[in-house]
Amino acid sequence: MGFVRTHGRVVEVPEPGPADHVCWVYDDPRDLATAAARFLAGGLARGERLMVVGDGMIESLDRDTLPFGGTDTLLATGALQVLDHATVYDGTGRFTPAQQLAFYDAAARKALDDGFTGLRVAAEVSALAADPVSRPALVRWEHLADDLMASGSGFTALCAYRADLGREALTEVASVHPVVRAPEGVPPFHVFHDRDRVVLTGSVDAFTATRLSRVLAESPAARPSMVLDLGRLEFVDVAGCRVLARWAQGLGGPLRVTGASGLVQRMWRLLGLDAVAPVTFEGLRA
Amino acid sequence: MTALLGEVVPAGGFEHEVLFYRDDESFLAGLVPFIREGLERDEAVIVAEPRPRMELLRDALGDDAVAVSFLDMAEIGANPARIIGVWAAALEKHTEAGQRLRGIGEPAFHGRRELEFVECQLHEQLLNVAFDGGPAWRLLCPYDEVRLPRAVVRAALHTHPIRTTVADRLPSDSYARDGHLDAFAAPLPKPTDAVLRGGFGPDDVPATRRTVAQYVRRVGLPEEQVQILELAASELATNSIRHGGGAGTVAMWLEPGAVVIEFSDSGHLADPLTGRLTPPLDSVGGRGLYLVHQLCDLVQVRSSPAGTTVRVLTWL
Repeated sequence: MGFVRTHGRVVEVPEPGPADHVCWVYDDPRDLATAAARFLAGGLARGERLMVVGDGMIESLDRDTLPFGGTDTLLATGALQVLDHATVYDGTGRFTPAQQLAFYDAAARKALDDGFTGLRVAAEVSALAADPVSRPALVRWEHLADDLMASGSGFTALCAYRADLGREALTEVASVHPVVRAPEGVPPFHVFHDRDRVVLTGSVDAFTATRLSRVLAESPAARPSMVLDLGRLEFVDVAGCRVLARWAQGLGGPLRVTGASGLVQRMWRLLGLDAVAPVTFEGLRA
Repeated sequence: MTALLGEVVPAGGFEHEVLFYRDDESFLAGLVPFIREGLERDEAVIVAEPRPRMELLRDALGDDAVAVSFLDMAEIGANPARIIGVWAAALEKHTEAGQRLRGIGEPAFHGRRELEFVECQLHEQLLNVAFDGGPAWRLLCPYDEVRLPRAVVRAALHTHPIRTTVADRLPSDSYARDGHLDAFAAPLPKPTDAVLRGGFGPDDVPATRRTVAQYVRRVGLPEEQVQILELAASELATNSIRHGGGAGTVAMWLEPGAVVIEFSDSGHLADPLTGRLTPPLDSVGGRGLYLVHQLCDLVQVRSSPAGTTVRVLTWL
């Protein structure tokens, strides 16, 4: 079963697709401006409504780097919306994942109703990632958003984060994006959604397993039947397998694991993880 | 069969016995009565032998063979460090069921590699530690005194507290009760060939496992082995970081017939049984080394206050 969504580490904004979710880590605001312009221009070509969110992103608009010409026209016709954080956060300035989901879900539906093919958002979210108190909620929101994007809502996003947020914060937020432009080694693994599957790619070891545990804990509520896709997982050690088993245990329903290597299945059995969680392995990796 | 029961040795606890045999006849003469006695006493009888010897016993036992569990020692004991876990699981299961266990185990069977015999000897010593003070059970270890190297045969007298013959059971005079202490602390022989060596610290575990994977792929190991050794490298490097002083050294070399990966650090592994018993589900540590023992061809662990070395061999 192939992947519908674009995923992986990139150096440039990828060709626009129907379910893009890009994490863009930047040093230089001009670099962000160029990336956002490219991302938004792709959406314009696809007939999507564009939304620019956050002060940093709005500034990049002001720099007039957007290759659209007539920004005013776009604004006037509703093809482009510019929102500061206060508006997106319900006017209260308070950020909750549920409220964000409601907002973007409604905005994506509205875009479709208004005759656009989707809603393409470029957002600067560094402030939320910088604060260790709000970061878990941000990660949860990114997860929910990713699920919404993966489910054919027409919602796509480029989430921009300043490089000076530090490795820990960047790794945490980058881990929940399928497409990442970030310094080498950030993040070591990705958790994202593809249709109704949860996909884990990259590498998980004893030093990153705790983060995986946190990320999975923030993943959207369990479905009646969950599928975890390990088909593109490069490496997982004992600690990583234990995290997966504990997550599976907490789902309250059966977990199907697809694409696991023979070694992962052997580890699962040798470590007695069958006793922790009822997991069925399907589709051995070639 | 009463001849076997010259109960000179006080019964109780774990009875670890060596039986020397010269040929098929003396092999069967020593073991068949031992098995039949166990069956008559309604004990759980488990035989761990390499296949040809297993078949020999099965034939000799006739209808009684169905009451005996047979395990292929060449499989469960390919890496001798896995054997204690097998006996421990069996002992737990049968003790819970109120049944006494009686085992036959021939880890040091004819035809094994020299380094496997070295690990068989340490395994025999650690059996005494693993089951000391636990439920009563008997484990009889046959040794082929004709075909095995002399040193292997002689060592069996040091590693078994009881010497059993067709006629009687006697305490082994040369049994070395704490023999495992020296054996576990003794440094491994230095490699003779060119060695690739490098240090690693807390941030280097991914790079270290990739280096190991690259090396073993380059010397021609199949992809399945590459993945196993990459995992082993990750677990062992992680152990060095977490329990071995925060850093370590990895060395890689080729020996005739084997690829060797070795991890060393300044930590001291106080419990020589670490990694040999199935770790309980809720335990924090010990799983990495357990998995390495389960997945790799031969694993030599040595530790003293001077440091710890784990040498992983993969047969070519």
